[in-house]
Amino acid sequence: MNELVEGLSSGKQNTGIVVETPKSDGSTLWEIRTEEQPYAFLSDNEIKEENRYGQKIDLVDLTGLPEDRSMFINENPEVGCNPNRNKQHGFFFTADNCIGCHACEAACSEKNENPAHIAFRSVGYVEGGSFPDYKRMNISMACNHCDDPVCLKGCPTAAYTKHAEYGAVLQDPDTCFGCGYCTWVCPYNAPQLDPIQGQVSKCNMCVDRLEVGLKPSCVSACVGNALDFGVIENVPENRDQAKTSIPGFPDPEITHPNIRFQQITQMPDEMKRTDSTPVKYQKDEKGGYKTVVNQAASNNSKGQQRHWNLGKLSSRETPLVLFTLMAQASIGAFALPFIGSQFGVESLVAFRDTVAYVPLAILSFLMVGLGLFMSSMHLGKPKRFYRGFNNWRHSPVCREGLGIAAFMGALGMHILFSLPDNSLFQSLDSTLFGGIFSQLISANWTISIANVFGWLALPSALVGLYYMNRCYRIKARPFWNHWQVITSFFGNALSLGAFISGLVIVTTLALLGVSYSSALIIAGVLMLVGLTAESIGLVAHGKAMNDATHEGAASHFIQCTTFGNTYYLRNTLLGFNLLLMAGLLAFAGDGTIALIGWACAGLLLVVSSVVGRALFYVLVIPTTMPGAFFWKNKGFEQHARDIGLAEMPQVGVIPNAH
Amino acid sequence: MLFGRKNRKPIVIPKKEVVEWKYSTCNYCSTGCSIELGLNDQGKVVTSRGHAGADVNRGKLCIKGLLEHDLFDSAGRGSQPLMRDKAYESFEPASWDQALDRTAEKIKDIQEKYGRDAFAVVSTGQLMTEEFYTLGKLARGCIGSNNYDGNTTLCMASAVSGYKRSFGSDGPPGCYEDFEYTECFMAFGSNLPEQHPIIYWRLKEAREKRSFPMIVVDPRVTMLAQFADIHLPITPGTDCVLINSMLHVIFSEGLQDQSYIDAHTNGSKELIELVMSDTYDPKVAQHVCGIDEDRIRTVARIYARAGSAMSIWTMGINQSTHGSDGVANINNLNLVTGNIGKPGGTSLSITGQCNAMGTREWSSCSGLPGYRYLENEKDREYIADFWGIDPEFFPKKRGLAQTDIFPAIETGEIKGMWLIATNPMTSMADTARMRKIMEKLDFLVVQDCYEDVETNQFSHVYFPAAVWAEKEGCHTNTERRVNLTRTALQCYGDSKPDLWIFNQLSKRFDNGKVINFPESAEGAFEEMKKLSVGAGRTLDISGMSYDKIERAQGIQWPYTEADAKRDAQLSPEEKPKGASRLYTDGKFQTADGKANLISVDFINNNEQPCQDFPFWLNSGRVVEHFHTRTRTGKVGNCNKFSPTPYMEMNPDAAAELGVVHQQYVRLASRRGDAVVMVQLTHRVPRNMVFIPFHYHDCVNRLTLGLLDPYSRQPAFKQCSVRIEPVDQDEAAALNVQRRAF
Repeated sequence: MNELVEGLSSGKQNTGIVVETPKSDGSTLWEIRTEEQPYAFLSDNEIKEENRYGQKIDLVDLTGLPEDRSMFINENPEVGCNPNRNKQHGFFFTADNCIGCHACEAACSEKNENPAHIAFRSVGYVEGGSFPDYKRMNISMACNHCDDPVCLKGCPTAAYTKHAEYGAVLQDPDTCFGCGYCTWVCPYNAPQLDPIQGQVSKCNMCVDRLEVGLKPSCVSACVGNALDFGVIENVPENRDQAKTSIPGFPDPEITHPNIRFQQITQMPDEMKRTDSTPVKYQKDEKGGYKTVVNQAASNNSKGQQRHWNLGKLSSRETPLVLFTLMAQASIGAFALPFIGSQFGVESLVAFRDTVAYVPLAILSFLMVGLGLFMSSMHLGKPKRFYRGFNNWRHSPVCREGLGIAAFMGALGMHILFSLPDNSLFQSLDSTLFGGIFSQLISANWTISIANVFGWLALPSALVGLYYMNRCYRIKARPFWNHWQVITSFFGNALSLGAFISGLVIVTTLALLGVSYSSALIIAGVLMLVGLTAESIGLVAHGKAMNDATHEGAASHFIQCTTFGNTYYLRNTLLGFNLLLMAGLLAFAGDGTIALIGWACAGLLLVVSSVVGRALFYVLVIPTTMPGAFFWKNKGFEQHARDIGLAEMPQVGVIPNAH
Repeated sequence: MLFGRKNRKPIVIPKKEVVEWKYSTCNYCSTGCSIELGLNDQGKVVTSRGHAGADVNRGKLCIKGLLEHDLFDSAGRGSQPLMRDKAYESFEPASWDQALDRTAEKIKDIQEKYGRDAFAVVSTGQLMTEEFYTLGKLARGCIGSNNYDGNTTLCMASAVSGYKRSFGSDGPPGCYEDFEYTECFMAFGSNLPEQHPIIYWRLKEAREKRSFPMIVVDPRVTMLAQFADIHLPITPGTDCVLINSMLHVIFSEGLQDQSYIDAHTNGSKELIELVMSDTYDPKVAQHVCGIDEDRIRTVARIYARAGSAMSIWTMGINQSTHGSDGVANINNLNLVTGNIGKPGGTSLSITGQCNAMGTREWSSCSGLPGYRYLENEKDREYIADFWGIDPEFFPKKRGLAQTDIFPAIETGEIKGMWLIATNPMTSMADTARMRKIMEKLDFLVVQDCYEDVETNQFSHVYFPAAVWAEKEGCHTNTERRVNLTRTALQCYGDSKPDLWIFNQLSKRFDNGKVINFPESAEGAFEEMKKLSVGAGRTLDISGMSYDKIERAQGIQWPYTEADAKRDAQLSPEEKPKGASRLYTDGKFQTADGKANLISVDFINNNEQPCQDFPFWLNSGRVVEHFHTRTRTGKVGNCNKFSPTPYMEMNPDAAAELGVVHQQYVRLASRRGDAVVMVQLTHRVPRNMVFIPFHYHDCVNRLTLGLLDPYSRQPAFKQCSVRIEPVDQDEAAALNVQRRAF
């Protein structure tokens, strides 16, 4: 902190500017209350040049955008009278003072007309100590309008804008298609996905109030004198500290959030959460707090016992389980026979000439198509799926979509141009259409064109797979943010793809009486390689999560307890399958027993992949702020759904979809 | 390119389109915050805001106030009168005339058959003062039952009783402004951040400007206790021991304000004799009250040595068998140290309901309007004359208190009852006993703005009442500030203002044709003004008017005609100002003008934790709910913060019993059982559990509610329970069933 302040003091400071109460009489943006109190007005007299991360606070300086632009709030062209409207603003939270009275949340929900299940600002708490030496620290948190807004970068529809006015990160619900990716990447749970509306909305910094010189509603409503607001790095009157973190707050390095804290009162060495997230915070050597697993957390009442909980494997993200697996399998299933035939592998060249090549390609096409369909249906507003391509500059979701869609398109063309060479198609053509297609274009031409599309499909698939992996490398979701995602995704593309294509190829060749042994070996080797890659990733991941001091460790703890039996079954299947495949490759040859063996290995592979991917989604614990006992407590929300309490809208929990 | 986008995205923020702001006072707690309701061009309430110029809240509101305008059309509002012959039949809709006729006829039947007092009237602290005054006229002057009282017995009766015993008169002598002056602040059983957030904010503002010691006496580590300089985690029910022991230290170290004691008090000899006894020596007292002797001495010394010191208290004191005694004893502490009637030195009761003060002043529940007494012949004659009736119509002694009315139904002395804006099925101790009592009634009228109020299941007639700004009138807050609510919108459905209901019913009684019942609230207020004048009276509102109250955003009484004349010179920007404090001259409303020092000895008559029932059961409020949750339970953005009952329990005790966080347990007491969800926290000691009191069929299934001998207020906070395991699925089903509105 000190060195940061010194670092700043060498910079130029805009001093001597006295901010007067803005003349806002007659503003059509916001009506200031009669006899409005000083606490409600912004009061930034001095403004620093740069924030502690070295970024300019004056956003006109930073961006070169013109001053005095209208924000067109509700299409109102009025330009606010706030003299600091081009400075980055942020919240200041005196954690020492918060009484957890919900006034900020209520003021926010009232102003923004949010229903009970949506809140742009939420108060949770951490607590520690032993009666009566007990302390609770309430934390009120909304959007921090970050320097590096990961929501903006992640959003595939480009619904987010970081404005040069106040540095506000605003989101347009009408652009959003409800994928919820911003809710994944935000470490503070700021964007709110409304499953009823099918879209996200979030804190708008009350820019209408800011324009007339008033602090946001939540700040003006604060009853504990805890919440404040102003130009970033300015410390309010009567406050001394401006820390970037307090216990329970995620690592500020992820996004450089525009919030500063005062928390001078010493807290107990260990602070616990009251919600069901099995995480607690322990004082570290430097006096900060580190995240550790709370093995006694609420939803793990039975301590370290292992359970199955197979029913809980299905979640809101189940469509994504299927999308990722099917897209990966599809890519592998297409790539194996195509590349093999292109490189002149005898049995695969033979297969390409069989009638079954096109059906296999169509199967791949259907798999990726179904996957994309599922992932679109997973959106809040599926009809807006095309908006997923808006933000290719920043969003991995967008690039993943582009890659996979391009793969699917190229594969489609590949199939189309492979048809004239297909004997079944030829016979259909000659019997039904009198050979019109074969006269139109020669099979030699179409094969070449099909090959071009095949070669185009492959890099698209690789780009798609890579960004599919990037989608999950989210700092706010430590359980995902590990290189095992890439070994798993590429590994599954190899193993599942090789299994599916191998099944078709070997069956086809066997039925035609052609030698399939090289195809069997290639498919087998690829299955083994894919499974090995996945397994290595998983071993490393398990170890990393076990040693971690972040929410990933808690996810792993749940993996080993709540889903313990399921997890160990999956691991056993993986290990056994590795041995089985290696054994088959080494000893089994290509006889009937080998074929049965490979079929078994493939089935085991499918089971372990589905279970593994479901675990991947269901286990992730984001770095969100601590919840309260009911509000923002995942355990209670689930309970309210299970028992039917959620059917009453005033409970603030969305019931299960029927 | 974080900032740049070629096509701007629209910024849409809900716009309220307010064309008119209507002035009102919050209808929840006694803080008395001013709220402006924003109406659109269709006259619909679309938003609200705290009044920034109001001295009480200065623009701030708590969660309940911020969302209060959501309740006008919330689920369960009563839209038409309902009637039935038997409580087990289903209701039939009725016209107002039918419902009022039936009610008047039944009241008369019962009174004829069993005597005038066999019909009881139980009101509330939630109506407008003018409505209380009118109800008093109706109950005392027309119906003539002496069994007429309010549910304020559950919240502030002890404060009233204690004030009367010490100062000869009710009325909190201090104000919020005292936080700005005090040099030592002590809170007894008062959790301001949760119960009175805006008063807490006023205190916090004072503490941000100037540091002064804050001492909090509370058996739980509330947020206020956590923020206190000194927290005294007292053994429940032993406040008198702590205060007596503090007095012991003060007298033995000569820290008392002897000149104040000599000039303005009686009874110091007896008090000294009592507190100097060995029982209250900190060495002995520490074992009873649970606060070590060093702490007792420290606290006594800083309190007595402070230039000015103030005490506040809420239900931690009032709701105990020593409630009235506790209040009197806090008054003792402040009288002995000369801390009454001076800036920063006061005994300030923080009341519960928005208009508990209004009912104390004007409802005639405990006597006659304007702090007059039935026991006083002159008062009887004066009021009878003013109303134009025979003074002999009045009883010569106050009848039963609210908490004695219900047992009188149990014993068959009372046969019929009218409940007005109160929900005893949730709020009274010992729900099982209450259910039996309610079943015994021959005739029950429930008047409430919600027809799903739990008590309505026993009624024969239901009157749908208007709520808050659907009608007009005043509230008095906890610092004696009279504040106004203007009519902002039409009544819901065919519901009617309580004033209208009282006026209509009065026409059906003989005296109702004699006594004048003004049609408007302002008309009733003008009558009250006339009644408030008199030599030596503190409760004088004669200088006030609706317009003046709105202009000042509330005026503290006394505010006389002379004050009004003085304020007539004010410029339009200046605001009329009433009296900040009472007893500034050291003159009290007793025969000799001196305050009484009341000797309070401690008798331990509470149900104590024992082998069978090893836990103290404590109860209290949460910030997002009000009372029996009839209103806040319907407002999603309030209710979601605690949609089902829960229990704070110490994790060490839980570990021993195998009780787990976020699971259900069954609690059993000597009265009954309740199912709650467990929240493990070190906020409570190992031998105590805490349950918010807002939920129907919950904490009051367990409570004993032993009555205070003076105030008849129940001791909700001291009884004992044991904890039993419960089938989680069955408990969950029960939880849902009991939460269904």
